[in-house]
Amino acid sequence: MNPQAKLVFIASLLLGSTITISSNHWIMAWTGLEINTLAILPLISKSHHPRAIEAATKYFLTQAAASALVLFSSMTNAWHTGQWDITQLTHPMSCLILTSAIAMKLGLVPFHFWFPEVLQGSPLTTGLILSTAMKLPPLTLLFMTSHSLNPTLLVILAILSTALGGWMGLNQTQTRKILAFSSISHLGWMAIIITYNPKLTLLNFYLYALMTATVFMTLNSMKVLKLSTLMTAWTKAPSLSAILLLTLLSLAGLPPMTGFLPKWLIIQELTKQDMAPTATIISLLSLLGLFFYLRLAYCATITLPPHTTNHIKQWHINKPTNPLIAILASLSITLLPIAPMILTII
Amino acid sequence: MMEFVLFLGLCFVLGGLGVASNPSPYYGVMGLVVAAVAGCGWLVSLGVSFVSLVLVMVYLGGMLVVFVYSVSLAADPYPESWVDWGVVGYGFGMGLVVMVGLVVGGVLGMVMGEGVLGSEELLSVRLDFSGVAVFYSYGVGLLLIGGWGLLLTLFVVLELVRGLSRGAIRAV
Repeated sequence: MNPQAKLVFIASLLLGSTITISSNHWIMAWTGLEINTLAILPLISKSHHPRAIEAATKYFLTQAAASALVLFSSMTNAWHTGQWDITQLTHPMSCLILTSAIAMKLGLVPFHFWFPEVLQGSPLTTGLILSTAMKLPPLTLLFMTSHSLNPTLLVILAILSTALGGWMGLNQTQTRKILAFSSISHLGWMAIIITYNPKLTLLNFYLYALMTATVFMTLNSMKVLKLSTLMTAWTKAPSLSAILLLTLLSLAGLPPMTGFLPKWLIIQELTKQDMAPTATIISLLSLLGLFFYLRLAYCATITLPPHTTNHIKQWHINKPTNPLIAILASLSITLLPIAPMILTII
Repeated sequence: MMEFVLFLGLCFVLGGLGVASNPSPYYGVMGLVVAAVAGCGWLVSLGVSFVSLVLVMVYLGGMLVVFVYSVSLAADPYPESWVDWGVVGYGFGMGLVVMVGLVVGGVLGMVMGEGVLGSEELLSVRLDFSGVAVFYSYGVGLLLIGGWGLLLTLFVVLELVRGLSRGAIRAV
């Protein structure tokens, strides 16, 4: 893409996210969300392939409808209470409409249908932006209104998201779709705790962004778009495949990796709120996700030497691995022992 | 009065329906016109007539006109112009008919100034005028960000349709 155009779009993404995150008036929050939606469209449709165009169309339609619902909810609240403050969303119907609007923006079930197809149609780096940076403004809005939202609705959306994220990811062979369902599943964990302890939602989001950035960047450096490519990707960078195993298990939430921390704290908080059956259900539903993470790890690593293979490591390296992957991978594997310090940061 | 406002609301929804269910963009634009006019009428019923006029001018008089011009240029890339003799003769004939109609209708006398209209009083502070003033003074941040959003829309559309047959709007 033209570098100046790319600069304009990336700068608009930063601008839109900053506007929404730092706003206290609903109109500014809506403006930021719209700028984000517009600016990411050319990044999704960069390759001009029909699948990419379809992904851009689907993204635009769902996000525009969700922004309209955000506007309706804020206007209903302004009509009934006379003010536009984001933290003062008191009218119950406004809270309901806002919850469904943010669920559409994030990709929570039952508004998740656009997410795998959009992620499949976009390049891996744009997919990374869609999964991490584009989730932050809607999550911020949910965070700011969390004290007035309906807990039952959010818990139902969360459990359905974890269930469908795990179940629908099982039959996938394309890595981008697997990562989309992984994202839906993690969003379920984020949504379940937001009315009880919103800081845990943010902690879960930050650690999820860290781990999924590692996975996306690893897959981008090995140009792995499907499982069969993942099987032979070790010949290009064997150590990267080995680290991918640990990162994927961290993403699945296995101790002693970082990914266990948010799940642990969320289960503890749910138990404190006298919701132990809910905590059990959501943990069991995460086991479905564990299966496809294990399948990815098997394809990446468990077929490595020393047992017999019919490939050897390639002698040439096209381009060295991005050092950022090393930093992100180290963080996403080893942050669990400093968990008390992490809690003081968020 | 209430029924008329509700009728305007119905027209707005039907116009939106017309846009969404259009068989082609040429007919979809008709729905946009109906929806915009109904929206303007609703704004007038709320009392903010200035904003309603701004909406009509910018939406129907600006964006819709640009759309119609681009569509007609795409349909007829080499149109006839004024200097073609057939067009000049046509224009003269039409002008003659208009003049005869004005004189016969007595409108020309009215235009020449026979009566004096009573002065209309404007309210000293109107919400929509002062709202626009705030938009340029205290609310200049929203003006800049809104302007950037619109400019960004232009860039996005240009980037999406760039490339003719290799771009996004190709027949696949």
